[in-house]
Amino acid sequence: MREETRREAVWQFLTYGFILLGAVVTLVPLYWIFVASTLEESEFLSSTDPTLIPGDSFFSNFQALQARDNVQFVGHVGEMTHYIDFGPFYVAYDFWNLWNMGAIESSIFVAGVYTILSLLLCSMAGFAFAKYEFRFKQPIFYAILATLILPIQLLVIPLFLLMSQIGLTNSYWAIILPWLANPLGIFLMRQNMRSIPDALLESARMDGATEFQLYYKIALPTMKSSLAALSIILFLFQWNLFLFPLVILDQGKYTIPVAINQLVGAQRVYYDQIMVAATLSIIPIFVLFLFLQKQFVSGILAGSVKE
Amino acid sequence: MATRDSLSGPDPSVRDRLRFARQSVGERMPTPGEGIVGYVFLLPAFLLFGVFLAFPIVYTFYLSFFRFEGVGDETLLWIDTGFFSYRLTSIADLSFVGLDNYVRMFTDTLFHQAMFNTTFILVVQVPLMVALALLFAVALDASFVKLRGVFRTVLALPVSANLVAYSTVFLLMMQDAGLINYVLTSLGLPAIPWLTSSFWSRMTIVGAVTWRWTGYNMIILLAGLQNIPQQLYEAAEIDGANRIEKFRYVTVPQLRPVLLFVFVTSTIGTFKLFSEPVIINGGGAPLDSTITIVQYIYQTAFIDFRLGYASALTYVLIAIVSVLSAVQLNVGGESDA
Amino acid sequence: MSGITLDTVRKEFGDGEETVVAVEDVDLEIEDGEFLVLVGPSGCGKTTTLRCIAGLEDVTSGTITFGDRDVTDLRARDRDVAMVFQNYALYPHMNVRQNIGFGLKLSTRQTAAEIDRQVEDVAEMLGIEDLLEQKPKELSGGQQQRVALGRAIVRDPEVFLMDEPLSNLDAKLRSQMRTELQTLQHDLDVTTVYVTHDQTEAMAMGDRIAVMNGGTLQQVGSAEEVYRTPVNEFVADFIGSPSINVFDATVDGARLDGPGAFTYHLSDASPVAGLDTVRVGIRPEDITLVDDGIEMTANVLEPMGNENFLYATLGGQEITARIDPTKRPGTDETVSFSFPESALYLFDPDTGESLKTKRDGDVPDRNDAIPNREGAQSGTGTGSDADEEQIEEVVE
Repeated sequence: MREETRREAVWQFLTYGFILLGAVVTLVPLYWIFVASTLEESEFLSSTDPTLIPGDSFFSNFQALQARDNVQFVGHVGEMTHYIDFGPFYVAYDFWNLWNMGAIESSIFVAGVYTILSLLLCSMAGFAFAKYEFRFKQPIFYAILATLILPIQLLVIPLFLLMSQIGLTNSYWAIILPWLANPLGIFLMRQNMRSIPDALLESARMDGATEFQLYYKIALPTMKSSLAALSIILFLFQWNLFLFPLVILDQGKYTIPVAINQLVGAQRVYYDQIMVAATLSIIPIFVLFLFLQKQFVSGILAGSVKE
Repeated sequence: MATRDSLSGPDPSVRDRLRFARQSVGERMPTPGEGIVGYVFLLPAFLLFGVFLAFPIVYTFYLSFFRFEGVGDETLLWIDTGFFSYRLTSIADLSFVGLDNYVRMFTDTLFHQAMFNTTFILVVQVPLMVALALLFAVALDASFVKLRGVFRTVLALPVSANLVAYSTVFLLMMQDAGLINYVLTSLGLPAIPWLTSSFWSRMTIVGAVTWRWTGYNMIILLAGLQNIPQQLYEAAEIDGANRIEKFRYVTVPQLRPVLLFVFVTSTIGTFKLFSEPVIINGGGAPLDSTITIVQYIYQTAFIDFRLGYASALTYVLIAIVSVLSAVQLNVGGESDA
Repeated sequence: MSGITLDTVRKEFGDGEETVVAVEDVDLEIEDGEFLVLVGPSGCGKTTTLRCIAGLEDVTSGTITFGDRDVTDLRARDRDVAMVFQNYALYPHMNVRQNIGFGLKLSTRQTAAEIDRQVEDVAEMLGIEDLLEQKPKELSGGQQQRVALGRAIVRDPEVFLMDEPLSNLDAKLRSQMRTELQTLQHDLDVTTVYVTHDQTEAMAMGDRIAVMNGGTLQQVGSAEEVYRTPVNEFVADFIGSPSINVFDATVDGARLDGPGAFTYHLSDASPVAGLDTVRVGIRPEDITLVDDGIEMTANVLEPMGNENFLYATLGGQEITARIDPTKRPGTDETVSFSFPESALYLFDPDTGESLKTKRDGDVPDRNDAIPNREGAQSGTGTGSDADEEQIEEVVE
């Protein structure tokens, strides 16, 4: 029996050791991003004696990054130039010029708009597939399902030509529109909305709801957790898009991935500035992750459904 | 008894069939407005789907049989109402080359290099990552582990990291004078040319991808583990199984479908690798030893502007990924059955 | 508030080639304020009929009128009906207050305060005023049931529709809610159509009962009527618990020869005149054990306390008898039974129609209890003819 307990102790020790090692290996690069962003390049790019303690150069690194002329990483106050002349006074109406968006704001804006619009589209389509009968429903659904197995972000060549033709190059719409009708999103919403009892919708019909009210007053509120999980999937999908934005966006409209790519591909690579950019890109999402852990996890698991 | 059935049906089987048909029909929703409502809800998604997904899928295939000569300007349709005019031009100026684009792949050494690199990364990275993810999942699933939620969160943190942003950290850490080599040399080991040797630069990609995705796969595997009924372990224990045997005879077979899913999605992920080699190896350095297929497609299409050939390459990649996905769907289907 | 009239209502499902008739030319008149129960086996079309009345299904042909308002082509939300669903269909994301008030919010222009007051009144009436802020998942089955009722009542509809509303409750709560529902319906005096597959519930609750089978209305009448004077063998079999014993017998003048030792002399042979065989029905409660009668073999005895159920075999025919609790025949014991001729049912062997029912003997006249006998009669008429029509369709 003593042998048994000793073994158990060794086993537990090894297990904890393994988990702790994993945690350290996971955290070190994250910590290193942060530390490097607060140091000068020479302080951390040194094979002799790199420091692991944060320094105080974050702000100067940030200023240097902001001073770059090929990349605007964080936005700045803009100048409004469109006025209506009322004689004694002017009223500026070009509020969109209030703030010149940098890569961070662009990415958040694009991913946010994409997430909201895609949620709307996918949930509406999912609702139609789950709760209505119409001709060709099955063929249409299977056609959408079939594209689930395609890596849709690889269809950049015709999209590039298409965007050139309709004049959407260098527009945020070019990176929002193509993936709005997200097959995975439609599929997930359809699966989840099938669990809404028909009686619930009929009950609402008898209570006087229109078909559209059924959708946004009954179906959407009951699908809150699925919508939350899906919104994480959609947000991260857009947040991580690199190839097509790289192709279609020009300077001034860069999203985070393209902006960082510009920094890395520049003539002279300033690692301290890049680390500031990486910190600013990664840390906010980490915080979000800590707050919305449950949704992240269910988003990951929802993305791994198979049927 | 026959007379009794004559009350509502000529023979019982007909009556049963009728009843069955009625019930299944009765479960359907009524179709208000003859099914128009369904179309209305579907319309926005359907239009976007058609223009931005269905069309590109078909057009990429079409393009793969042509050589791209430039953006099209041939007028296909011209509407001029006086107030408003619209000119639809052809999407591209093309010349037909038949199967040339596909034939060219056989002699394209850079394509072969990209295939080799991708396969190399695949063979090393996927088993390594799945093994690690499984070990972490099993470790976290152990009943004695405290702070399970905290550890899970920590291990899953990289999931939220932007693909390009995190790559820069590896670019930094793997410099000749970077953190990793500092640790190695302080341990008395030789420094490794992580970014300049063709072998080690691939290993750098392997390390980065493993760091980014192990937690993701661990979460899926952990959910799979938690779906295994506890009774199975108890039964195995009563049958005298030790820890290793329980893992071998209960965990692995029960987890098989999830494991396969993780394997297949990771494999597909490797075929889609783009951000990491672009950022860490600056586009395939050294000497194209890390160039991946997607990266090669990008170069062919948007640096060299050989869109026809790039489309053919895309289709080969899509074919590979689709076959893998189909395998995954089948595996998933079996597990549900 | 108004009555409901169904005029040759027909509901077919499916498209052109494969149609299934769920409701077959049903004529039914429901009086203002009446509590009508639609009862029948599953798949008989009772729920479809209810859904047609609700406007959740559009009818294939026929008309539905509320009072003198033709609602056939109106959608559910324009019909002024309220429905209680089997699973209550409470909106899971709304609390009780919002659930009850939802219909008022959508279909009236009242202010939030007015709606709130009405919701509270109804909640008080149902004894759920303390639950108003809770979500449905925090409530017990009985409480959810009350909320569903409240949601229907608050709208003060012309018509209440209930689709097996008690089937998810446990037995004790069910009988309690049964009484409560009846009282409530009586107080509110709203025309109510109630669907159930449980004939006991139907008998206990309905002012009148409409028995359906195979998409057709078999009979409409008071509980006593459908029990004592069923129009055909199906109704006789469906109503009454335990079920009526029915078997074939050959007719020889006034003598009936059934399975085993069964022989019976009719004092009045007119119902079976001209027939070679007939279906004989005897309700278990009409059987009494006697010293000298028709012999059968006892199988199982189920003591119920106040009475005993005896399961016996009569020449291969299973017979159920409800007997005096003091009589306890053992297994395989031979017992003799008899029954009064007034209690005997006879059915046509081909059509199943009743040739003779209990009504012949000692039935009190129920005319005064049934508000509209014409309606009831028109319902009973269609019976078997319609059935045959429908069978032909299926065969095609």
